[in-house]
Amino acid sequence: MVVVGGLKFGAIYSLAALGIVVIHKATRIVNFAHGAFVLAGAYATYGIVEAMGLGYWPAYLLVPIVTGLLAAAVELVTLRPIRQSDMFALITSTIFIGIGLSEVYRLVQNTEMLGVPNPFPGRPIFIGDVIITKEQIWVFAGAILSSLIGVAIFGYARLGRGLRAMAANVRGAMLCGYSTDSMNALAWFLGGALAGLAGVFAAPSKGISPELSISMVTAGFVAAAIGGFDSLRGALFGGLILGLAETFAAAYVSSAMTNAISFLLLFIVLLWRPEGLFPEAKIRDV
Amino acid sequence: MSNKRWRALAGTLAPSAAVLVVAVLGLALDTYWQYVLAISISAAATGGALAMLVSYARCITIATGAMLAIGAYGAAIPVVWAGVPFGAALVFATALGALAGFILAIPGVRFRSHNLAMVTLVFQSVVIIVLRESKALTGGAEGIHVPPPVIFGISFADDAYFLLLCGLLCALAVLPIAVLLAGPFGKNLRALASNENTARAFGINVRHHLIAAFTFSSALIAFAGAVSAPRFRIIDPDSYGVLTSIFTLAYPIIGGMGSIWGGIVGGGVLRVLPELLRPLADYIELIFCVLVVGTLTFFPEGLASALWTGRRRSRTATSSSASTREWQAPRIATSLSEAESVAAAEDETSERPMLELHDISKAFGALRAVKGVSLTVAPRSLHGLMGPNGAGKTTLFNIVSGFIPPDSGRVLISGMSLDKVPIERRIRLGMSRTFQHAAVFHRLSCLDNVMIGLGRNSVLQGATRSLAAALDTEEIRAERYAALSALEAVGLGARAQDAAGTLSLGDQRRLEIARAIVSRPRIILLDEPVSGVSVEEAQRLRELLVMINRELGVTMVVIEHNIGFLVSLCQRISVMTEGQILAEGDAAAMVSDPRVRLAYFGEREAAE
Repeated sequence: MVVVGGLKFGAIYSLAALGIVVIHKATRIVNFAHGAFVLAGAYATYGIVEAMGLGYWPAYLLVPIVTGLLAAAVELVTLRPIRQSDMFALITSTIFIGIGLSEVYRLVQNTEMLGVPNPFPGRPIFIGDVIITKEQIWVFAGAILSSLIGVAIFGYARLGRGLRAMAANVRGAMLCGYSTDSMNALAWFLGGALAGLAGVFAAPSKGISPELSISMVTAGFVAAAIGGFDSLRGALFGGLILGLAETFAAAYVSSAMTNAISFLLLFIVLLWRPEGLFPEAKIRDV
Repeated sequence: MSNKRWRALAGTLAPSAAVLVVAVLGLALDTYWQYVLAISISAAATGGALAMLVSYARCITIATGAMLAIGAYGAAIPVVWAGVPFGAALVFATALGALAGFILAIPGVRFRSHNLAMVTLVFQSVVIIVLRESKALTGGAEGIHVPPPVIFGISFADDAYFLLLCGLLCALAVLPIAVLLAGPFGKNLRALASNENTARAFGINVRHHLIAAFTFSSALIAFAGAVSAPRFRIIDPDSYGVLTSIFTLAYPIIGGMGSIWGGIVGGGVLRVLPELLRPLADYIELIFCVLVVGTLTFFPEGLASALWTGRRRSRTATSSSASTREWQAPRIATSLSEAESVAAAEDETSERPMLELHDISKAFGALRAVKGVSLTVAPRSLHGLMGPNGAGKTTLFNIVSGFIPPDSGRVLISGMSLDKVPIERRIRLGMSRTFQHAAVFHRLSCLDNVMIGLGRNSVLQGATRSLAAALDTEEIRAERYAALSALEAVGLGARAQDAAGTLSLGDQRRLEIARAIVSRPRIILLDEPVSGVSVEEAQRLRELLVMINRELGVTMVVIEHNIGFLVSLCQRISVMTEGQILAEGDAAAMVSDPRVRLAYFGEREAAE
């Protein structure tokens, strides 16, 4: 039961981490505003499901587009003008963009916490002693499926090839006719869309509040770090590992330990395997 | 001269004086404003501390809230639970902050940018969790009541008294940071933030410097936290959360990254902005975010500095480059060779080879970049190293200067093995270098670039030299004189105060040479000194190098693709190809050597 719950959250973390990795791979920026994109996705879900009463299906289709556009707009307006600056400026920008977006949410929506209904309220399934809710199955399967689609787009489609070329060698990719501008916008769109989906899946069980933004960016970062920031596969497994570790800690140690365990994981990975557990390529010596 | 001396001292004292003046002027206001100003002053101290870490070392830290909490609780707990006098508790809290900064930095400085930010965030969260959970000591989430400070029996409960005390303490606390940042320590931080590898080649130990920066700045932040805590009456973990950390990060960014002033003004103003803009209080966080992102996007030097540089830029634009100005023959003999040179004196007596490489090998994965290279360079000689791209020349340089450990083989300087000598120490053994891509510290002035080249850059030396710089002692003036002489020697005397980034490429190469010779090294490694510069400029650089070699007796090893330049400069040339020395000998003979021509003109496949 713990395993199932852990896998559910893990799949959501994977989705969030994938977005971070996609953006990092293409633009070398670790996006600290990612949690805010997840929050935006969850809030948009609330809008579609609760405020407009359209149900969940439109949310799964529309939310990624909305958050993707939001992410692309953020890149266009704030990050593109300073693309030439150092990492300090870029990363600090994303930190404050994230806080700023959460602030906008807080100002628009004064309530502490918004909720959306469970997409599958039906009776849980019993397998021996294990109780599994349909929601858990749906979120796990849906999030993993979305992740795989994301990986497939990045890995195989023409757009993915351009992004990977960009990641490997900006100048080379430009010479081959890929435009940095459109590739960056695409990467941010794709990353934002993945974050939005994470928001849709997270909204029913995690609730919608500025807290979601911070907890999701931390979880996404830790999961991405487990994968070494450059490996999509690593981010996928990183999210699941983190989800399991957190739920196990909450179940067998104490609920206050959930945060601690993700930090512990981060520390272990950073100190012992800074290149991640799933390093994708050797760093070239220059 | 004494006038100048005063100015150096006044510049360093000014931030403290400003803090004190604000406190004194505040005495004329009502108690509410005295309260606001006291908070503002302690935030100014926090901002000043952050200037070191954020503006100079360009580290993203999200642990400021935790450091403030450590100071606040570190001072309050001894006062409340053990009746320790406020003064002693303040000292204890500051020491605790320094210790916390040190502990955070030990794992933290292994990382940069996003990973460092994340490690500081972890630290921040852990501190808050600990404060919340140790209920017996800290009162948990409800917090703890902090009594007004009592010093020598005088209670500073009154707003006016408190403001004065706060001003006095913060003025004192800002002083050491101001001294460090204005002096060589601050310049070293800027240097390592702009180019770590180059900084290391000139003896700046990046790790030590970042640890020191974290320690100093955390100590001051904890101090500010301890001083301001009594004013809040009750302190709780929530007031020192992640958001506090992030908004304090905004202080130096919005205020300006150019000097300590940015942090001080930024902190002083931004902390009390919610009080000043009461009607907008709800939007203040959003305004902060917009200001930071806007500043980073449009005024990367900070809002305040944007106004300053706008004025200064018009001045630098008018000064011309050394290469376009009428060429003045460099004069080295005068000042530079008068400077003490133990190294040179030693060399006169010994006829050992200056540099010996014994069977050096290095592989990167499957690529064997250097395969068993042995090389001997005679003292005071000009030795060329040529070979096609990818022959392993720069790798060899990186092994000699210590950036890359060889897989096997030994490097000796004047017969002394460099096996166990880290990069940062090699400059003290008389080794200096220039880089393939002119690696000057763009944001520092030419003079500061060259002063870093002196290699007196350990943390301790940086700190003592910063103090010396504030007092403008004899010693620091001698250093400045040596640096100016080196600049004049390469023809850049007139550009001493200009930022290195404003120089032309040819002039940046000159600056690199000045930086390389100022420490009076025994040997200089020059990696493609004339790549990308004009023919005339190459000719002048050649004259300059020959003169330096002759007058200072410096051995030089030169990598260059410009064969004409290399042949006219060097007596001996070694030719490398595919990681091995293909041939070595007299310069002219090498160029006509058929093997060399073969390697260079790429007819190898056809020949084999």
